Amino acid sequence: MATSTLRQKYPSISPGLLAWLGFIAVLLTIGLAAAFEVFRRGLVVTNMSDLVPWGLWITIDLSAIALGAGAFTLSAVVYLFGLKKFQSIVRLAVYVGFIGYTTALLTLIMDIGRPDRFWHPWVYWNIHSVLWEITWCITIYLTIMILEFAPVVLEAKFFDRWPWLRQVAHSMHKIAPVLALLGLLISLLHQSSLGATYGIIKSRPIWFKPSMPIMFILSAVAVGPALTMAVAFVLEWITGKRAISHDILRIIARASGLTLLVYAYIRFWDLAAVSYYGRTPAVSEALHALNSQTPYTFGFWVGEMIIGILIPVLMFLLPRYNQRPVNLVLGAFCAMLGIIFNRWNVTVTGLFVPVNFSPGTLYRLPAGEYLPGLVEWSIAVGIIGYIMLMLTLGVRYLPLFPKGEAHKF
Amino acid sequence: MPKKTKIKLELSRRDFLTVAAAAAGSVVAAQALTVGPLSPFSLLKQNQIQGEAGQKHGDSKYRWGMIINLDKCIGCEYCLRACSATNDVASDRPWNIVVAEQNSSGYPFFFSRPCLHCQEAPCVEVCPVKATYRREDGLIVMDYDRCIGCRYCEVACPYDARRFNWEERAKGNEFIPTWGIAEVPRRPRGVVEKCTFCIHRIDDGLKQGLMPGEHPEATPACVNICPVGARIFGNLNDPNSRISHELQANATIRLREELGTEPVVYYIPPKEGL
Repeated sequence: MATSTLRQKYPSISPGLLAWLGFIAVLLTIGLAAAFEVFRRGLVVTNMSDLVPWGLWITIDLSAIALGAGAFTLSAVVYLFGLKKFQSIVRLAVYVGFIGYTTALLTLIMDIGRPDRFWHPWVYWNIHSVLWEITWCITIYLTIMILEFAPVVLEAKFFDRWPWLRQVAHSMHKIAPVLALLGLLISLLHQSSLGATYGIIKSRPIWFKPSMPIMFILSAVAVGPALTMAVAFVLEWITGKRAISHDILRIIARASGLTLLVYAYIRFWDLAAVSYYGRTPAVSEALHALNSQTPYTFGFWVGEMIIGILIPVLMFLLPRYNQRPVNLVLGAFCAMLGIIFNRWNVTVTGLFVPVNFSPGTLYRLPAGEYLPGLVEWSIAVGIIGYIMLMLTLGVRYLPLFPKGEAHKF
Repeated sequence: MPKKTKIKLELSRRDFLTVAAAAAGSVVAAQALTVGPLSPFSLLKQNQIQGEAGQKHGDSKYRWGMIINLDKCIGCEYCLRACSATNDVASDRPWNIVVAEQNSSGYPFFFSRPCLHCQEAPCVEVCPVKATYRREDGLIVMDYDRCIGCRYCEVACPYDARRFNWEERAKGNEFIPTWGIAEVPRRPRGVVEKCTFCIHRIDDGLKQGLMPGEHPEATPACVNICPVGARIFGNLNDPNSRISHELQANATIRLREELGTEPVVYYIPPKEGL
């Protein structure tokens, strides 16, 4: 029974932990100060403009949701495909996913002009809008993750005083497969719709292509589980306890490497079709503009291809590298950077190329210029603080790693 | 041996029936799902083709449109100023832009652009809360009390016709009162805003029995103020309106026609061509 973990004593707060918490507090303070500034003065404190209305924060949203994809992927692997040996990592995966999705929602609250109206998409429906669908999916999926994770939280020592809660938690274990199925459907939907957000914008030729949703979901499925794997290793190094067998983690890394190869394949054909075989004048013009103003091609090859795909694939798949945990963590880190880089590239570079609507030949909107400002970076710092805090609290107070044969739900 | 054959036969008959049933079922299902009553797509399509297009071209009594004569425009920016005063728009983020242009052989002309009020408006499609919507008379307008400020419409607009309120605006407007007085409230911080073709004038005018495009009180400010009459406004659904006659008489173009956004703003090119 799950109760075996309850009697465990938490170690007292060591000086090292205290320093770590202090560091997190500094990060959070920076973030909160920036948030205060945004709420006080409005989005004018950012470097976004009418030409580039989306920036760093949207990149954080997209990346956080993609990186949270380990939750639905690994849940589906265990509860739908019945690969029970991955059971031991599901809790961690759902927890990491939960952190990712809440990160995205926190950033979104900063990013919308009227945070007080965040609830409008639930009341005023535009079913034709992908953004409406995404809002709904993300909210529903967050609820699913909370339901999936609630039993874990309820196992914490704190809830000893209400035994009936344990009963509830136990019965909730039983609906885990249903939740996993729902989670899978909802995740497949919104992870790809995030790509469609760009893919359907016909006014911007560089975005307008059907491969967008597919590339988004594939990259998320590849990198989400890899991040969970890396977090498991890092937690093992910090706590000194091996909670999840390295074999399992290595299998996840290999699966991630293979999925990255599939992603690379789609990416390659996207590149070939859009910018070589089927190149339209509008796309040519956009790419030319991007390359003359930004290191777009360099960034694509180095950031997305070498760092984001090649290095992780080598680390995850080659036997001479993937035996050492440090290489797997390095690979996952690179893959994560690659995802962030990709989402940035999609969002901001797409907006750098201005729309061109004038019937004449002289007038052009100026090319978008955008680098995140101090307040935007500060929010990012605060977000990192939030992620660290959640991970620290989770490791310390939640039974993220089931012990022995304790859990057979 | 015969026994074996028999079993084979029986099996294959069952297989055949299964396959036939599955095939028939698939056809029925496919039919129902693509064109039948179960199809979400057919429903959407029907709405799009019959409902909305019907409204667009026939059902509604009014469908407002504008002609901008690039051959006449002198680039005085009066339209920009009158618009900014009437709608209390920030001077650095005008709804209505006027720019110097030249055609492909280098001949200079002036180009101006209000919101084009696309009948298939990307901004309407992407808005997650229907804060931007299309009225029966074809105008694309916003509910500023509903907008959440996500700026997706800004990203999606092919004509850069949208402006976001990045901050609470300071008091004052350099165009008031010289170019008119504010007839609508200023938009709050955090929402997107756009040209409305002065709906407040159109709606009030119609209530008083005035015809937009004919009576200045019911006509957009930019049209009234134009010193050379480069802008014509009116009801596209009325074949006898001035705008309908002008559309008949002149060759016109629309911006980025290939996107299928169906703007109601038509341009008469300069006679030197584009």
